[in-house]
Amino acid sequence: MNKFKVTFIVTLSLILILGCFFIVSSAAEPIKIGAVLPKSGNYAEHGEMELIGIYLAIEDFGGEVLGRPIELVEADDENNPDIGSRRARNLIEVEGVKFLMGGVSSSVGLAIGGVCEEEGALYLATNQNSDDFSSEGFANKYMFHVAPGMDSLVRGAAEWVAENLGKKWYFITHDYSWGHSGTKWARNVLDEVGAEEIGEIKVPNGTRDFSSYLLQIANSGADVIVLTVGGLDLQALYMQMNEFGLLDKMSAWCTLGNYEDSYPLDPSQRDMYIGVESYWKETPEMIEFSNRVKEGYPDAPLSVASANTYQGWLGMTALLKAMEKAGTTDVDEVIKAMEGMVICDNLRSEATYIRPWDHQFLGVYPFVHDLQVEGVDIFEILFTYLSKDYARGLSENPVRLTD
Amino acid sequence: MNISTILILLFNGVLLGFIYSVVSIGFSLVLGIGQVINFAHGLLFAFGAHIFWYISPTIGYWPAFVITPLIVGGLGFLIEKLVITRVYGQDPLFGLLVTLGISLAGAELIRMIWGKLTKTVSTPVFAVGQVHLVNIIYPRYRVILAVISLLIILFVWWLIIRSNFGTIVKAGMTDSEMISALGHNLPVLRNRVFVMGSILAGVAGIVAAPLWGVKSEMGNDILMLAFIIALMGGLGSIKGTVIAGLVIGIISSLGVLFIPRMVEAVPFILLIVVLFYKPKGLYGELTILGEVTAREK
Repeated sequence: MNKFKVTFIVTLSLILILGCFFIVSSAAEPIKIGAVLPKSGNYAEHGEMELIGIYLAIEDFGGEVLGRPIELVEADDENNPDIGSRRARNLIEVEGVKFLMGGVSSSVGLAIGGVCEEEGALYLATNQNSDDFSSEGFANKYMFHVAPGMDSLVRGAAEWVAENLGKKWYFITHDYSWGHSGTKWARNVLDEVGAEEIGEIKVPNGTRDFSSYLLQIANSGADVIVLTVGGLDLQALYMQMNEFGLLDKMSAWCTLGNYEDSYPLDPSQRDMYIGVESYWKETPEMIEFSNRVKEGYPDAPLSVASANTYQGWLGMTALLKAMEKAGTTDVDEVIKAMEGMVICDNLRSEATYIRPWDHQFLGVYPFVHDLQVEGVDIFEILFTYLSKDYARGLSENPVRLTD
Repeated sequence: MNISTILILLFNGVLLGFIYSVVSIGFSLVLGIGQVINFAHGLLFAFGAHIFWYISPTIGYWPAFVITPLIVGGLGFLIEKLVITRVYGQDPLFGLLVTLGISLAGAELIRMIWGKLTKTVSTPVFAVGQVHLVNIIYPRYRVILAVISLLIILFVWWLIIRSNFGTIVKAGMTDSEMISALGHNLPVLRNRVFVMGSILAGVAGIVAAPLWGVKSEMGNDILMLAFIIALMGGLGSIKGTVIAGLVIGIISSLGVLFIPRMVEAVPFILLIVVLFYKPKGLYGELTILGEVTAREK
């Protein structure tokens, strides 16, 4: 065999071997998705329950999409916008993540959304409820808002509250983006439902003793205390409203509450009317989903699926479906695939729709009364409503993320 | 705004002040005697609340009220013997870092033992209900807690001011070497003071549990407040701690009327103002840095 033939065969063999390595490594390369959420502080339990939902969604897809394994990279936002945005940027620039999700605090989520816009990464705000996420000045093409905005949560319940609980409202507002959002929307509907504002108190994040605030409200003549307060502060507030006998004189409407906030209370301390994002007993599918949490995660803070769990699941499910639909992990293509998507197999009684022009997820939401009972079935669903009927429309929201 | 609202907020502030003082007294004593910035005080406070929550449904309120501080005192004994003895006489910042580490590790231990969810402590049967003050109803339990807090403060005051033990403790604050020279066992004295501070932290946890809930992070919530009150009142000064606690309680309570969004900043602002004019605090006799400087000389 002459030298030319030997050289040709060796070169061809090397090309084939290298080509095989390239194909194998490309096929095995995982798709990295970042989960930036609270693992400590005020919303730690919420973050842990959300993470469980995210993992359950990955499990539903068999741990892979587009033939590639899914690798979830977790980061603790410590409920701090600076820390959250720094960790998000680290995930993008160092870990090479192009898709992020998660979080509870709206101010943290907005900061992360800003980073994702700069870096061209897709971000799903799963459990933050400020309507800033779909508003001008904050909304951007890379950000999707899974959780309902305070516009639909408040407007969906306001009429019932005015008719059934009373029309003299006193606001307690958590003094940050989300809190302001809830009170703003409640104020906006006062005339519409025939209610009047008696007063407002803004409480700093991290308040544990509300005694002085509650003493002011006690003799105000209000029928309804409208709370837009979250996390551990809300639990302390629930306890102290009972302690001061306020719920004997007036009702409490929590514009947005979570199962994690009510469940730890002594049953005698419950008697609130709460806007929630989901409830584990809503449908047979939700019950089954909840059982998966109980069986798969026995050390979880809760033995049922909370709304945080569900929305973590929904966000990841939507993302993976969009990747499948797009047939690629190119961010722009995945964004296009997600816009206008309808998710029918969402475990609920109504499908979820991802509205294209503001990237807002729309669905069905319950309004509940928390019960003075033992056990895990602590909410009575009073009614449900569709957020598409109450979320801001085109005429109210000038943002346009699509043509 | 009317006079009855102001009066009830003033009353609420005084009650809060007594509760804050109980939380801070143990911290102040350890800081004054051992010159240790004990950031594990918050951890002991959290342990007190958790242990009380855990055992009180089984053994009853009052037995748990007695046993819990003793258990926390035992924990304090171990922490002092195993760790704190190594930081005496060193830069106070070293003690701060060591106890901060204990605090962080301990909080994780609490989560492992009792979980992450907030727990609630029900009001005991004898304290359920409200009392009528002017035209406001006020929780009976808070009134009882304030009375208990006041009794504890008086007991600690008697112990420090009137007893032989207290005389030695006060002398130890000023000149620990002289105390040793006079034949008193300084390590034993320091250990007893640390245990006393731990017991007080445990009691404070019991006091706070029904008001604010029981959670692993609760130590952090109270630690900065205790630190501020101890500095503001003066290291190791019972009188100073109580007055500082009352001032912060009252101004925070009344502040809700005028500056509700700034209420959380009130303790810090008050501390700055007091230390500006009185660097040793209202009734303190030395500063931490002053003591270190003297020793270095």
